Formats: sequence, C-alpha cells, structure tokens
Amino acid sequence: MRFSPVRFLRRSAATSALLTLPLLLGGWLSGPQSTFDVKGPVARTQLDVFYVTVWVTLLIFVLVAAVLAYATIKFRARGPIDKNTPVPDQGHGNPFVELGLIGASIAALVVIAVPTLKAIWYTYDVPEEQRANAYEVTARGLQWWFQFEYPAEQIDGSGQLVTGNELVIPAGRPVRINLRTSDVIHAFWVPKLGGKVDMMPNRGNHLWLQADEPGYFWGQCAEYCGESHAVMRFRVIALGKEDFAAWVENQKKPARTVTPPADAPKAAFASYDMTPKKRNAPGYTAEFDANPMAAWTAFQFPEKDEEPALVAQGRALFKEKNCITCHSVRGHEGIGVNAPDLTHFGSRTTVAAGLLENSKPNLHRWIVDPNNVKPGNKMYMGVNGMAGYMEMDPATKTMTGKVHIAVNDTEARAIVEYLHSLK
Amino acid sequence: MATATLKSAAYTAPDAAKPSARPWFFTRPAAKTGLVSWLTTVDHKKIGLLYAVTALFFFLVGGVEALMIRVQLAVPNNTFISHQLYNELFTMHATTMIFLAVMPLSAAFFNYMMPLQIGARDVAFPRLNGFAFWVFLVGAIVLNVGWFTRAGAPDVGWFGYAPLTSTAYSNQFAGDSSTDLWIMGLQILGVSSVIGSLNFIVTIINMRAPGLTMMRLPVFTWMTLFTAFLIILSFPAITIALVELMMDRSFGTGFFEVAKGGMPILWQHLFWIFGHPEVYILILPAMGIISEILPTFSRKPLFGYPIVVFSGAVIGFLGFGVWSHHMFTTGLGTMATAAFSLATMAIAVPTGVKIFNWVGTLWGGQISTRTPMMFALGFIWMFMMGGFSGVMHSAAPADAQQQDSYFVVAHFHYVLIGGSIFALLAGIHFWFPLVFGRIVSEFWGKLSFWIIFIGFNVTFFPMHFLGLNGMPRRTAVYDGNMGWNSANLTATIGAFILAIGIGIYFTVIVYTYLKGKKATGDVWDARTLEWSVPTTPPPEHNFHITPTVHARDAYWYEKTHAKEIAAEKEKHAQEEESHGGIHMPSQSWFPIITATGMLIGGLFFAHHHFLGAIAGGCVMLIGIIGWAFEGPGGYHLHIAKDGTVTGGEGQDTH
Repeated sequence: MRFSPVRFLRRSAATSALLTLPLLLGGWLSGPQSTFDVKGPVARTQLDVFYVTVWVTLLIFVLVAAVLAYATIKFRARGPIDKNTPVPDQGHGNPFVELGLIGASIAALVVIAVPTLKAIWYTYDVPEEQRANAYEVTARGLQWWFQFEYPAEQIDGSGQLVTGNELVIPAGRPVRINLRTSDVIHAFWVPKLGGKVDMMPNRGNHLWLQADEPGYFWGQCAEYCGESHAVMRFRVIALGKEDFAAWVENQKKPARTVTPPADAPKAAFASYDMTPKKRNAPGYTAEFDANPMAAWTAFQFPEKDEEPALVAQGRALFKEKNCITCHSVRGHEGIGVNAPDLTHFGSRTTVAAGLLENSKPNLHRWIVDPNNVKPGNKMYMGVNGMAGYMEMDPATKTMTGKVHIAVNDTEARAIVEYLHSLK
Repeated sequence: MATATLKSAAYTAPDAAKPSARPWFFTRPAAKTGLVSWLTTVDHKKIGLLYAVTALFFFLVGGVEALMIRVQLAVPNNTFISHQLYNELFTMHATTMIFLAVMPLSAAFFNYMMPLQIGARDVAFPRLNGFAFWVFLVGAIVLNVGWFTRAGAPDVGWFGYAPLTSTAYSNQFAGDSSTDLWIMGLQILGVSSVIGSLNFIVTIINMRAPGLTMMRLPVFTWMTLFTAFLIILSFPAITIALVELMMDRSFGTGFFEVAKGGMPILWQHLFWIFGHPEVYILILPAMGIISEILPTFSRKPLFGYPIVVFSGAVIGFLGFGVWSHHMFTTGLGTMATAAFSLATMAIAVPTGVKIFNWVGTLWGGQISTRTPMMFALGFIWMFMMGGFSGVMHSAAPADAQQQDSYFVVAHFHYVLIGGSIFALLAGIHFWFPLVFGRIVSEFWGKLSFWIIFIGFNVTFFPMHFLGLNGMPRRTAVYDGNMGWNSANLTATIGAFILAIGIGIYFTVIVYTYLKGKKATGDVWDARTLEWSVPTTPPPEHNFHITPTVHARDAYWYEKTHAKEIAAEKEKHAQEEESHGGIHMPSQSWFPIITATGMLIGGLFFAHHHFLGAIAGGCVMLIGIIGWAFEGPGGYHLHIAKDGTVTGGEGQDTH
C-alpha cells in the first residue's frame, strides 16, 4: 500500500490515543456531540485533517517551547543587574537563521495544506461515483426549530413528505442535504456525522454526510439566531434499508385516527406528574440516553395505555385552541404551515426542537407554558402576523401583552394524549 | 547664552498679541490642573491617561459581563440569568472588550508613548487628538446606554449578522432600539479610531526627531503606524455596512432585508473585511510592546529588527486577504474556501517569524525576570498556543467542526487575553515608573502575574475540549447529558481565579499610584527615547531639548556616548531658543463641545427622533465652527540652563 501521511498520522493518533485517554475517560471528548467519535466519512475526513494540524503544530510547539524554555533559564541574569554590569553581546540577528526558520515554517504549512485541499473538495459534495446513490433531503431552519422535507417522497395531493426536528435518513448511503432558512441565519451541525454549514437567506447551500451504521445522533443550530438559539436542537436517526423504507411508508400515511369504542368510559385522567417545572429544567433521562435507538423504535408504536376518549377530546381542543392555524395534521383538521407538521408527531422522540424528550409530562409542560421552556418562541409570541398564546396588534405587529390562547392542565392532558396518538 | 536670550526676546516681542482682544468664546483655556485642564487638554500624555482610565474601566465592565456568563454556564440547565440577558451579555462582553477596552488601551499607549519614542513634543494635530478621545467616550456611552433602557442592551452579537439585525426580528415587546444604539455606537467609535489613526500616521511620518530614520523607529512606533493604517483602511468597510444597516432600520431600505431581495451574505463580507484586520489592530500594538520589553530586560537589541518590522507589515497586508476564513461555513464553494484557507496558513509565517525573533532576542542576553518581563514571557507562551489553534482553523475542513464552537472561543481568548491583554498589562508595569514616577512592587506584581496566568489557563484550556466535544458558542444553557459539565465547571472556577488575579493587579496599580515606592528616571536601563525625558513623569513639553537620533536603540546610544551627546544637546538648546523657544499647542473647549453634539445626535437618531438628531448636529456644527475660527493658538516655553521653565499660555502668542 502506498504511504499516505494522513493514514500514517491517523494511525499514530490512534495508537497514541493514550495522550487523550484521560480526557476521553473523563468524558471531555466522548459526549453525544463529540467530533472525535466520528460515525461517517465526512466527519472522519475532517477529523483526519484536524489530526494533521495537531501533530504538525505540536511538533513545532515542542521545538520552539524547548528553545524558549532553555533560553529563558540559560540566559537568566546571575545576580542583580545595574547600569555597571557588563552588557552582553549587542547582536542584531542572523539572516541565515531567519531564512532557515521561514523556510521550515513554510514546509510545515505545506504538510497541512495538501490534506486540507483534498478534504475541501471531498467534503463539499457527494463524490461523483456515489452521486447516483445519494438520497436528497431539505433541511430548513426557522426560529427556533428545523423542518425536514423529503422531495423524493411525494404524497398524493399533499406534496412532499415534511417532518420536524428529527431527520430520519438511510444509513450507509450518502445523504445530500439542501440547506434553507425561512428567517435568519441558522447552521446545521451533527458533529458525529460532519461539520456545519450555514442556512443562509437568499442562498442555496448544501452539505452531504453519511452515517456508516444505523444510529441516533445529536445535532444543534450552530449560528446565533436570536433569543432561543441555545435550545434550537435536532436529532438525526439513521436507519437500515428496510427500516427506512418502512418508516417512509408510515410517514406518508395520513394521521392515525383512534376510534373511541361505543361504550367509551368518561375520559379518565392520565396519571403523570404535572407539577410546573423550573425554567431550563432538564428534559432528558438516563434511560433514554442508554439506548436512544431502542427508545426511538418504541415511539413508532401506539401506546398500550392509550385512552381513545381522551384522544378524541384532545383532537377537538387542538382545533378549538387554534393550534390548527399554524400546525398541520394531514388527514385531520390542521392545515397551518408556520409550525412543525404534527402528522406523525407521536413517533418523534423529542419535543420543542430536540430540547425535551417526548414524554407526556414534558409535552404537557411545553403546551401549558411554552415560554418557560423556550423563551420568545413563536408558538407563544405569534409568527408571520398570526397571534400565538399572546395577542398581537395586527396593525403594528407588536405584542399587546394580553393573553390570546391559554391551555389549562385538564386541556393539556387531552391534547398530549391526542398528539401522542399520532404515531 | 546671552545672545540666545536676546534673540528670543527680539523674536517674540513684535508678535505678542493682547489676549483680551479676542471674543470670550475664542479665549483658549489655560488651566494646567483641575477638571478644566482635563476637559480641554491637547497634551498627548493627558489624553493617553484619559484613554487608559476609560479603557481600564470598561475592561472591568467587560470582565463582570464575562463572569456573569461563566456563572450561568457553571452548571447545566442553570437559571442564573435569562436567555435574553445572556445574549445581551455576550454581545456586550465582546463589543466592550474589543472596542472599549483593548483598542483604547492600545490607543492610550500610542498616545502617551509614540510621541516620546520619536522625540516629538506632541502629536501633529493636538486638538484632533483630544476630539478622538471625547468621540470615543461618546461611542462608549451610546453603546452601553441600552443597559438602562426598556429595550435592553444590544443582543445581536458583536458581529451583528444580518438579517437578525433587521427590525423584523427585533424584540416585539419593546420598541427595540438596542440594535440602533449598537449601530450608532460603533459608527461613532469608528470616527474616533479613524481620526486618531490619521493623527498618528501624520505624526510618525512628519514629527520624528532629527536622525530618526524609519529603520531606526522603535518597533512599538512601527506597530502604531501599521495599526493606524489598518484602522484607516478597514474601518470604511464597517462604516459602509453600518450606514446601510442604519438605512434599512431607519428608512426602510433593503440592503440586508431578505423580503426586499437584500443579501445577508453581503453583511458578512463587509463585516469581516473590517473584522479580520481588526484582529491585527488588537494584536499588533501588543507585539510592539513585547518588542520593547524583551530587549530591555535582556539588555540586548531586538533580534532581526528589519524582519520583525517587515513581518508586521506582511501581517497587516495579508490581514486584508483572509476575511473569509470567518465564513468557511457559509457555503463559499471549493475554490474560495481553498484560497482563503491557504492565505490564512500563509499568515502564520510572519507571525511565527516574530516568535522566533523574540526567542532570538532572549538568546545570549542577560534576562532579568522583573514583572513586565514575566508578562512578556507569558505573552510568548500563550500567544504561541493561540497561534497554533489558529493554524488548526485555517484548515477549512477541520474548521467546519470548530467554527462557532467553544474551540474558537478558546483560540481567540488565547490570542486576545494571552496575547493582547498580557502585553498591555506588561506595558502598564513597564511604563508605570515613567508615567507616574512610582514603581509597582515586584512581589505583588509577580503574584498577580501568576494568578492571572493560572486562572487564564484554567478558564480557557478546557474550552478547546468543550468545542471538540461539540458545544456551540453563544448558548445560554446546555443539557447535563452532553459531557460538558466538568469542563464548564472548571472554566468557571478558572474565571474566578483570573478575576482574583486581575483584582490584585488593579489594586496594586492603584495603591502604587497613590503610595507606591518612588522611582525616577531610567529605572529599567531602557533603550528607547521615551526614557530620556528630563523628569518622570515627563514635563508637558516632553524634552527640554529635541533629541538627535544616531542609532536604532536611541537612548541606549545616548547612554553609551554620553559625552558627545551632551555637547550636541548644548548646541541644540541654543538653536531651539534662537527659534523662539519650545512651541506648544493651546488647549481648547471645542473638541469636547463637538463630541457632545455627536452624543446628543447619536442618542436621538438611534431612537428615531430626527428633530433631536438635527439638534445634536447643530451643537456639533457650533463646535466645528468654533474650532475653525478660534485660531491656531500656541505659545512658547523657554528652558533655562538649570532646567527651569518659563513662558506659557497667554504670555507669548504666535
């Protein structure tokens, strides 16, 4: 095999991982968004280039630092100095030393430049020979959530398949993602799969990535985009060929309708803790993190303790509370386009743009007091001239401070039950 | 001497005008002490001190903002401050540290030291120099006034990326003027920087002492010159961008408005073609200070002076060709990404050259590790680390992961604190005896150095790992399951250690100013002309006799050729007196009046009260007219052989 400096450095990096081992053990480089725990060719190429820069600069650092430390110690003045102490040689420099060092620096930079240039072209777009095999999706950033559109999956009479905040992709296959925004600049970043690219207004950006194996990945908006930028998150779920096909098939179906049995009992209260949570209260659990793929799979099936009567009540409230003006539930009443499509909301593992796990208490918390979860969010503030939970003066498009929609605990329980039924 | 006195008397007598003949509002103020002397000063040293005190105040303000950010991030899911306040804090922390702390602190050194280093009695345009300071203060007020209004402080980031700055995305609860204040504040600060820089350029080109050829200039003066050129060449870009944004917000134009077909990417190009040279505006003065301190405490000339100067020029030049490396993730395409990637790598060469030369300066010297030298050595180490992480960003594919992550935050704090701030703190200790005639205690100076050094590294080194572990910047809150908890907590602890170090540093400085050990004259056995002043602190006219420069380290040469210099000075003293004595500029009220007009106009304009803005413009106009018609002013001082000074404002006019 031909000698490749990148491969050599990668291998030396792997073997000398001992250096970073304490940090990996301490969890400093092994989080769900680690750029070291790469799961695809794009992220791997970027990490390779990073390793080249690390080794080259580390070598220079060691050399210069050694000389600097030696000079500082060796030429330290012995005893106090005053104006009568004999002065050292007043040398002004040495052109040969200077030129030699400039030459050496340029040589070191060439070592970095070559793999950099190769990687720039490789990471820019799906390689020519794989282009026919690439799967195309569109990711759209909005304050403060992501919409994912599947131009390859057309639904009769409803256009392309649209989901929100969880991007499901086929594993082992390049995915070309068109990046769009509907308001300000956002950036699409799934560190384990690849570096970020911005979603620029009036500009059609794209990136490509590939997940080697099925898996569940954390992503986050990486460009400051306003008040709730910190909580604008999303997930990427890579599925094997059959699983992906099955997922697409289910997503293309209209929303699931639960028919209450004729002898429906009076809606009973679902039992979960609904004590108001503190602002920024965590919405994740260790059980979920232990096996997120298993959790995701579980979300694809109707819940066993589903209460059909409560679902029906929730569906009515969903309409009554005007949720339908912004949200779509294909096959049910929702027709809005300003907010995430909720047709298969129950099959998503998170709510509020990847912020909270989609558990009933978390969804309840989000519906009852959205501004507490995500300050400034458009469901609360209103968007595109439409009022949200707060009233908006249509003339000035400013908030009047009055409440427009209020959801109490009982109502929220029903809406939660309805949304969770949308598998 | 008799002939000299006679000549000077003969020269000044016919011109002696009666001050009372001028209208009262054109009378030049003559106070040399007290408030009026500061408000009307044209003395580059007083202006330098005004810059320094204001900059250090804002440095502490920016530090408190940083601490609040670190407290919020100490633990996951924290509720110490709201998202909105967090966004305001990181915006104002950056804006404050860049425009209101590091730049003016550099300007303080330019003002105070550069004329002394070139053997001049003041800058070329003394009133303009005062004006630059007052305008700076106005800009600082306009930027910060938002803290006290309902709209809050600016929250668009110091980079203000369109279209987030558009009125469409401003806070819907309040008539959001915070972005307008940000625009106006930066615009006013730009005026100050450009005026100050033009002044420095003209001063360095025209007012050097006899014999001070360009290749004998102290490196700090060279870096002043390069910085000034960077400012006048880069600020027009941000000025244009800010004017366009102001038009969008105030008059409904569509430069950056997406709905009107505007191009948000245009903002980024305009911003960074200013913003990248700005990085060098922050670091070149620091490099200049280091290039003065290292030779002094090694008792040896700077290694490779011409290369150090030339590399400064190359950095300044290349600095205009790398702006898009801030935009690697905006979808530039392969060719532009490759070009900017390579250009960015290229800039590492002249930067590396400087480090090699500093090490070369130490080599073979007699290094005394006094406090300024400790900060200077710390600078080399920290700046080197910041430089290396910079090389890592230059590789665009690696940068795709690092951009807008904490890795970048770690990188630029290594260059800006470990670089700029360390050098500025070194400069304060180094020149303190010259400016105040007192010397900072070695023990307390070194203690503050070590605490700052440790605190700084504990704060910012973990951020490299946070970034590589996927933590994005500008996020007010993070979840506890991301593996970021311990690194964040470490960083916050480090931030408080750093704060303690800075606290000790400033306490010691203030104590020394009030009660410190007296130290007069050339305390460090220094090499450049500023140390040849007759007294410390220097008199208003700087030098009794304009020095003549014979070599690169001019004062070192004077000390080693004392006899021949003494004879030469004697001769020059006579010549100077025969030309009428030392010509000094008169003080003036008009710089501060004109700047006040800008304050009134700026505040009203930012709140879209255009009548008020016009009123402010009128005040400004009055200031300018008064400035133009108050006459050139100026007076003469005469130095007797024993050093006594006679003459002054109103006693003999041109």
